[in-house]
Amino acid sequence: MIRPFFYRLASVAGMAFCLSLPAMASAGNSHTGDASNPPVIVQKNVVAATPTNGFSSELERGAYLAKAGDCIACHRGNSVTAPPYAGGYAIASPMGSIVSPNISPSKTAGIGNYSEQEFSRAIRKGIRKDGAYLYPAMPYTAYAGLNDKDIHALYVYFMQGVAPVDEKPQAVTKLSFPFNIRLLMSGWNLLFLHDKPFKNNPKVSDEINRGHYLVDTLAHCSTCHSPRNFFMAESSRRYLTGAAVGGWYAPNITPDETEGIGSWSEEEIARYLKTGHVNGKAQAAGSMAEAIEYSLRFLSDADLRAMAAYLKTVAPQNLTGAKQSRFSFETRTPVHMVDIEPVTSRTAAAMSDSGSVDGQLLYENACASCHGRNGEGTADHFYPSLNHNSATGGLVADNLIMTILNGIERKTNDGIAGMPAYSDELNDSQIAAIANYVLTRFGNKAIAPISAQQVADFRANKSDPALLMKMMPWLLSGAGFVFVVIIILGYFRIKGLFHRRRSN
Amino acid sequence: MEYDADVIVIGSGALGNNAAYELAKQGKSVIILEAGKSIPRWKITENFRTSPRKNNYNDPYPNAATAPTSFAKDYIENTGSFAYLPGMLKLVGGTTWHWAACAWRYLPSDMKLKSLYGVGRDWPISYDDLEPYYCRAEEAIGVSGRSDEDQSGQGKKNFPPRSKDYPMPSDGINYMTNRMHDRLGKLGYRFVQEPSARPTNQPYDGRPACSGNNNCMPVCPIGSMYSGDVHARHAVKAGAKLLTEATAFKLEKGSGNKIEAVHYRNANGEDKKLTARYFIVAAHGFETPKLLLMSDVANSSDQVGRNIMDHNGLAIQFLADEPLWSGRGTVEEACIVNMRDGQHRRRYAASKHNIGNSVPNMPVAQRLIAQGIFGKELDERIRHDAARWVDISSMFETLPSPSNRVIPHPTKKDALGLPTLSIHYDVPAYTEAAKDIVLRDYRRIAAGMKGEIVNETSEWQNHDHIMGSVIMGKNPADSVVNGECRSFDHHNLFLATTGVIPAAGVVNPTLTGIALSIRIADIIAREV
Repeated sequence: MIRPFFYRLASVAGMAFCLSLPAMASAGNSHTGDASNPPVIVQKNVVAATPTNGFSSELERGAYLAKAGDCIACHRGNSVTAPPYAGGYAIASPMGSIVSPNISPSKTAGIGNYSEQEFSRAIRKGIRKDGAYLYPAMPYTAYAGLNDKDIHALYVYFMQGVAPVDEKPQAVTKLSFPFNIRLLMSGWNLLFLHDKPFKNNPKVSDEINRGHYLVDTLAHCSTCHSPRNFFMAESSRRYLTGAAVGGWYAPNITPDETEGIGSWSEEEIARYLKTGHVNGKAQAAGSMAEAIEYSLRFLSDADLRAMAAYLKTVAPQNLTGAKQSRFSFETRTPVHMVDIEPVTSRTAAAMSDSGSVDGQLLYENACASCHGRNGEGTADHFYPSLNHNSATGGLVADNLIMTILNGIERKTNDGIAGMPAYSDELNDSQIAAIANYVLTRFGNKAIAPISAQQVADFRANKSDPALLMKMMPWLLSGAGFVFVVIIILGYFRIKGLFHRRRSN
Repeated sequence: MEYDADVIVIGSGALGNNAAYELAKQGKSVIILEAGKSIPRWKITENFRTSPRKNNYNDPYPNAATAPTSFAKDYIENTGSFAYLPGMLKLVGGTTWHWAACAWRYLPSDMKLKSLYGVGRDWPISYDDLEPYYCRAEEAIGVSGRSDEDQSGQGKKNFPPRSKDYPMPSDGINYMTNRMHDRLGKLGYRFVQEPSARPTNQPYDGRPACSGNNNCMPVCPIGSMYSGDVHARHAVKAGAKLLTEATAFKLEKGSGNKIEAVHYRNANGEDKKLTARYFIVAAHGFETPKLLLMSDVANSSDQVGRNIMDHNGLAIQFLADEPLWSGRGTVEEACIVNMRDGQHRRRYAASKHNIGNSVPNMPVAQRLIAQGIFGKELDERIRHDAARWVDISSMFETLPSPSNRVIPHPTKKDALGLPTLSIHYDVPAYTEAAKDIVLRDYRRIAAGMKGEIVNETSEWQNHDHIMGSVIMGKNPADSVVNGECRSFDHHNLFLATTGVIPAAGVVNPTLTGIALSIRIADIIAREV
């Protein structure tokens, strides 16, 4: 699970005060438990199929843009009955929970007193009306590219199209030191916030420009799909080449033929963003399933096509030297009934013993009812094939393990897809055994074997941010040392000044 | 006095677990005692797949000497004219592991049988009392169904009345039901769809949508069908403590006629004692009265273990003159409900015909092999006959009679040294009186489908719906519990079992049991 940016650890210890929150990394995971309860959104005649330039009012366009920005995913309340944008949803992070604020136009509890300029500053620069810095759980580094027109439409929508909720979330953001010092974000912003509005590239089509704008701003794809450096800022050099997101893995979506999605047609990419699956290639889970459920599926076909067209123009990158596309693995050896349904003991003890770590036996009884004995899924792909599947053929088994542990519930324009969670029913060794059986038979066997400890880490959601946290005392002591040195140097400098004065 | 828990629930079936979950959710400390083990679904699925006895619904479930199921040799002895032998399981989740998930509400008239039709007993509570709890029970277990049908079969609209629609719509009517309705509807038969505790077209509470494995009995391999293990997990996550291999054998009386403690025996034969403010016995319709009788509690009425009822049944199988393709979807798809209610209940039992929807290859093949058909012809005939197979089974209303009774066996003991069960049951005359009506229906139905009758039985069958054994009523002299399911003798003792049901109707009583259990939890939560 160690990502390359940790190798740079030694050179950056003194800069600990610039550390930002790796909140984004865990935000996705914390969403997953709630996907079955999509919030009710104040709909002001939003028609998903309407092209973006065909809106009858700024308010309507703003509502559409708010959908595209997936604002509701974080600014929802904690219950299904909570009104839209009431806030209170806790985004778990290793430093503590970041509680989303009320962004309804309430003058007492929300953003009703924001001027358009203040609204714009919050969205594009990450600074609240009162001047406090937001944490980048709010993807303002992406929203920074939004144009003034869209900011205006969003402002109109949030002020006029959302019902004011005069109640602040009860919970408040409480982070551990030093992350609780919001001012630290100013340093981080200096380094990592490039707050220039998006500019059209005159050399490419309007469609590609439109797609580029959506991908980089509202849809904030790179928030998850670009790896981050040590300070948890996105790496522009490795744009969209894949990254871990709170246990899940957001894979390479550059058009590289082997490591990326070069084998996908534009139509397939657009369909995936709308329905959450492309049969024989991939299906969305975790935070991607949420992004589709709450946001992407509401975009117009033209916008989804534009995003797909743009993604096909991104620089293809194969950073790992992958030799086989993750969509191309498959089994070639069907199993025989006699091997998988052996005569077994009918004693009560044997019939109660659920300790087996035989991957084939576990797969056959826990998985094959839906995914098929040979991983073929169902003919209509209602239950996906595990052959030709991104979750089993990828460079890491993160999504396979997370899916077995946590299941899937994904509501899209194509119905609701569901897989039960197996975290209660199977222990770490058993999930590892199933993962290894699946990888070996249907997927990328090069990444097997998965160990029980790896599964335990996913179960405990010990991903990168936890590692960063482990480094924190050391980083802080390093920073403290630098601080002391600065004070000592400063002391001598002041003393020197006095000395010079006296000598004058 | 320090208690081990606010509430101890004895039995981790669907009823006990729903009560336990509701109480734990409200912050009460709860201990659940379960005689059997906790076994994951994949293991039961393995046990089913490797079972040589596929039509024995208890066979995939371990039959431990210390937690015997009803099919354990000699566990249930019958002394009456009818062998009452329900498929009872002992493991976390209980017998709903193989219940087929028909989640019916009773009719208002079922609960006023005596006042309306002059037979049997009235419930001490009304349909209106229970209606909100029916809604909660349907939400708890995820029922799909049609809210727009007259389930009473009396030509009404949307009956019984509902304050909320089913949590999920039905997944549609399959081809077989449509064809049978086309042909039999003309003869006056009224069809309704079975409400079913399984998600349709969408996941529900972490369970996937039904995909038609058609294996509800003996195990849903994907955990779509509701079973009590769901709420065992929910209860534990809400803070309840679940003790397995803990067979309760004695309720101990304390001061003020209260139950003070439960004694249980673990698989090693060691005895333990736990105390609580309140006790819920949810140990199955037979095991609950057994525990009360062994403990000599709650029986001032002398009605504990008496009045046992079932929905005694008959069945017919025939080969229709056209392919109908039984087996698409759940094993229980539709019913004919003309006789579910009506003035005839003054004279003879209500009844309901279930149109079975199992994949019939097994009985079809068995029959053909018995006829000496083999080879290519066998394959062809299996295809031909399985497509045309119709299996109708009927459930009859029964009435409570004190002589129909379950007791701890006077001499026989199980491996834990606890008494096994002795049952005396005779099918009531009221039920017998309806037999010919139903047999006449069978012949009309078979003729309506131009069917060739394969098998028609006039032998009464078990339907595993245990009622009456700890009967509910208004009068402490003739009832074990009141309308709250609270013991008349012990203020802090509640019985969460379909055994409280005083008028049987003709539908699976599980949903009603769950509704009563949620209601018990609400009552206790206000007091503890």
